[in-house]
Amino acid sequence: MELRQVRRATERPLVSVVDDDESVRESLPDLLGEFGFAARAFSSAEEFLASDCVDQTRCLILDVAMPGMSGPDLQQELKLTRREIPIVFITASREATIRPQVLAQGAIECLFKPFSDTALLEAVNSALRSK
Amino acid sequence: MEVQPELASGEVRHLQRCINDLVSLLALPAIWSGGDPSQVLHTLLDALMRMLRLDLVSVRLTDLAGEAPVEIVRIAEPRGLMPPVHEICDALSQCLENDSRQWPPLLRNFMGDGDVSIVPLPLGPQGELGVIVAAAERTDFPRQTEALLLSVAANQASIGLQEARLLCDQKRVASELDQRVAQRTAELAAVNEELKKELAERRVMEEKLGQEERELKRSEVRKAAIVDSALDCIVTIDHEGCITEFNPAAERTFGYSRDDVLGRPLANVIIPLSLREKHRQGFAQYLATGEARVLGKRIEMTAVRADGSEFPVELAITRIPLEGPPSFTGYLRDITERKRAEHELRRSEAFLAEAQHISRIGSFSWRIATDEIIWSEQLYRIFQIDRDAQVTFELIATRIHPEDLSAFQEHIERSRRDRSDVQLEFRLKMPDGTVKYVHVAAHIRSDHGRVEYFGAVQDVTERRASEEALSKARSELSHVARVTSLGVLTASVAHEVNQPLSGIVTNASTCLRMLAADPPNVEGARETARRTIRDGNRASEVISRLRSLYGKKDPTIESVDLNEATREVVALSLSELQRNRILVQQELADGLPLVAGDRVQLQQVILNLLRNASDAMNTIDDRPRDLLIRTESDDNDQVRLSVKDVGIGFEPQATDKLFEAFYTTKNEGMGIGLSVSRSIIERHHGRLWAMPNNGPGVTFSFSIPCQAESSTSDSTHAGHIPPVPDAA
Repeated sequence: MELRQVRRATERPLVSVVDDDESVRESLPDLLGEFGFAARAFSSAEEFLASDCVDQTRCLILDVAMPGMSGPDLQQELKLTRREIPIVFITASREATIRPQVLAQGAIECLFKPFSDTALLEAVNSALRSK
Repeated sequence: MEVQPELASGEVRHLQRCINDLVSLLALPAIWSGGDPSQVLHTLLDALMRMLRLDLVSVRLTDLAGEAPVEIVRIAEPRGLMPPVHEICDALSQCLENDSRQWPPLLRNFMGDGDVSIVPLPLGPQGELGVIVAAAERTDFPRQTEALLLSVAANQASIGLQEARLLCDQKRVASELDQRVAQRTAELAAVNEELKKELAERRVMEEKLGQEERELKRSEVRKAAIVDSALDCIVTIDHEGCITEFNPAAERTFGYSRDDVLGRPLANVIIPLSLREKHRQGFAQYLATGEARVLGKRIEMTAVRADGSEFPVELAITRIPLEGPPSFTGYLRDITERKRAEHELRRSEAFLAEAQHISRIGSFSWRIATDEIIWSEQLYRIFQIDRDAQVTFELIATRIHPEDLSAFQEHIERSRRDRSDVQLEFRLKMPDGTVKYVHVAAHIRSDHGRVEYFGAVQDVTERRASEEALSKARSELSHVARVTSLGVLTASVAHEVNQPLSGIVTNASTCLRMLAADPPNVEGARETARRTIRDGNRASEVISRLRSLYGKKDPTIESVDLNEATREVVALSLSELQRNRILVQQELADGLPLVAGDRVQLQQVILNLLRNASDAMNTIDDRPRDLLIRTESDDNDQVRLSVKDVGIGFEPQATDKLFEAFYTTKNEGMGIGLSVSRSIIERHHGRLWAMPNNGPGVTFSFSIPCQAESSTSDSTHAGHIPPVPDAA
């Protein structure tokens, strides 16, 4: 699986997933692969920043609430370092304030878990189109 | 004539005996000397019986003035044909009735049935002393010598009797004389005594008179001193109402000198103008009719001073008990001060009564020795008992709620015995059925051996009602708190549930897509389907945890493993805690004893403590947000759970306030968590407290008793926990 993702990375746009929840990290890359994207999963914002994928990532699917650096924290960090990767936020929370907040900061979309595959595809596509 | 020798010698013996007897008789008076008449007669009769060999001899003394008649009889034994003595005596009495001078010298066979010779011998020259009768059956009685002996004996007896009588008389006279002398002496002594007494009395009288005189003098001096130094004004007036005496106190009080007012009408001096006419009328009426409205009573009136100022006085008027026209003494006292004190007392009493009325507090005193009970007016009102009723324990008992009566009486007896302070609360039941709650507080006071309880009774019915309302409000708060916790938790719960749901949806979508591919990716589809099932189980676990936390309605008592309960709570709140960058560390003791309690309620408390700790560290950025949750068992069969944070802490003096509802150090939040938590722990017979740490932050702890039988988890044997009202 890892090999396939690496292999396709050169020819397909890379979508990175950052979420502290294991089931998301397991399931999302497979779905993204079915959509035809290359996908990488990271368990924390710190892990993503430390990886070599930041610059290659065409779309970032980012969890809002995480221990340590949160999703919005990472959004700010990327903005400050001028690595403006289109971000699709995903959150299990139902707090109404989160969505407008992250959208105002430039996120493409904010999806509430559980979200449908089509909603995800739409969001990723618009992210890829945005650049 | 020729005398035969035998005869002559018998005759000689007879004569010799006769002479001997004669000598004996002549010697008798010597024997009698100093004796009394009966002694004389006894010896005489004995001598005659022996000398003359008589069968009977008797003597009868005539009845002489002052002496009882005497009759003595001697009879020889055996008596042969002699008739019974009393017959002889009777016969003699009959024939000797007559004058002794006409008695025959000898009576022979006078009773007709025997040969008895009787010789009567008169005593005294005329027989006036009495008679001796000698009798014998011998035919030769009395022989010539015998007759001689008898007559000598009679003579001797007469002389002896005379002498004896004389002697008796002398003795009697002497004793009478003695008696008289003694009597007279006694009389004289009595008179003497009387005289002495009289003298003594006279002396006492004289002394008394002198003393009275002195006392009279002293009394006058004293009276003058009293009048002069009396604090009361003393004014005397004559029958015309003019002043005859005016003491120094009156001078001071009214501002007149004695000399100024003597002889002036009292009315014009001290009675205000407005009352003067009334005074004159009353005085005139008394003089005319003897009726007085004011005499002998204490009356209050207004008086006037020399400077015209008026003031209240108390006045008592008495009539001076002397002959002649009536005169009077008036005692006057300035009662301005007393009036003021009375007024103040009345006002203070009114204040007290009003205060008691408003505060619904009545006061009482109870004297133990006599059971004398005194109530304040408010207490009568509280008990709804007539103000005039005599308060007794019997009466009080009629108002005590029947269910509280025995406890009340027991308390009274204990107080009577121990004399300790009283604090007690009980219910009253009014005649109309209303129930009142009263609180009694009393303490004992001993004053000169008078032991009394003093106390207060407060009607706390309203307070009770508000306490009940408060308890209800608290249970409502508990509900609010729970709902609030639920609301706050919703996010984290949603997060917990949505996480696996998200996995399920994503995996299912992937699965479908893999199966729809050409060729279908069956291996991939199987893997995603497996993940779908796993996430589904995860979601269902979250939901069942949620149900166990919020799904139960009534508090249930079960054996609770605090470690397990803690782990569940931590698992549920972990993501929320992590989001707040709280580093949770658990130190759960091995082999922790079970506790009996309501699992959900205890978990609520743990959740509250975790949230509080988390909130307290929200603004902490200069140090790791460490949270330590620890369980341990106590020495005292208690299990303790503590939650330690390194947050902003609180002021030490705020410790108690922390647990008050609505007290909060946080800017947001309702702050009711801790008070509800504390009430839950207290219902588990435990304790919840907070201590500042040595370093930064606070440690909140609670401890609750271990379950009695910690080896079993049988919930039916668990202890009783009062329900938290409206736990839903």
